[in-house]
Amino acid sequence: MKCQECADKLDRFVDRELNSTEILEMQLHLEACPDCTDHYEFQSHLKRLVKHSCECDAAPPAFREKLRQILS
Amino acid sequence: MAESPARTAFAEEALTHLDTLYRGALRLTRDPDQAQDLVQEAYLRALRYQHSYQQGTNMKAWLFAIMRNLFWDRFKGSRKEDVSLDDVGEFVLYEKLRDEGARPEADVLDKLAASEVVTAVEKLPPLHREVVLLVDVEGFSYKDAATALGVPIGTVMSRLHRARQQLQKSLYDYALESGIVRGNGGHQVQT
Repeated sequence: MKCQECADKLDRFVDRELNSTEILEMQLHLEACPDCTDHYEFQSHLKRLVKHSCECDAAPPAFREKLRQILS
Repeated sequence: MAESPARTAFAEEALTHLDTLYRGALRLTRDPDQAQDLVQEAYLRALRYQHSYQQGTNMKAWLFAIMRNLFWDRFKGSRKEDVSLDDVGEFVLYEKLRDEGARPEADVLDKLAASEVVTAVEKLPPLHREVVLLVDVEGFSYKDAATALGVPIGTVMSRLHRARQQLQKSLYDYALESGIVRGNGGHQVQT
């Protein structure tokens, strides 16, 4: 695998959307390529950052209770 | 209306996805009151049309689809035209930062405040924002995101890629403005 192909598949690798053969190819490339590994770790970190930053908003308890009343 | 066991069970299961719907509505409307109105309407509609939900399929995706369709109907007048993100180009924050002598993860990502990341997400055009919410925040597969959004998987992938480019551009701009990095080939600010 070339670095360009690795870059093309990086989104799907980070999102766990590749098949097992593609995952293995990516893993083999990353083991041998520090630059692509750094890029992969950066993208993974960014994805985690977006998740953690945005998922802290839970529905207010009073709203949850109100909905429960309405739906029952 | 008499409450049937099936209706109660459906409502209970649907309510297990409330946080996902509320977060999605909050990020789409950017207003807590509007988000609650939107989610409440979505649940009422879901209950009304529960017969159309197929048992065993992804209820969270089905509920999200109802909520986001209501959002577009109510707040966008069903007009799904969106700001093009094509002009952002292939902006890769990682490469940009490395070119400027920063260590992208340690020097930049670790210093970004959660509120700035949320702001960057909320700056995305809605059609792109909702893909990031589903895939990155809620952990939907591309297939489930495609179902929720009513688009092909390829559209999910392309919107997600463009959204991430724009997100990285916004975060880079913030890092520049706040002094986390310096542009034009300068080195990172030590703090």
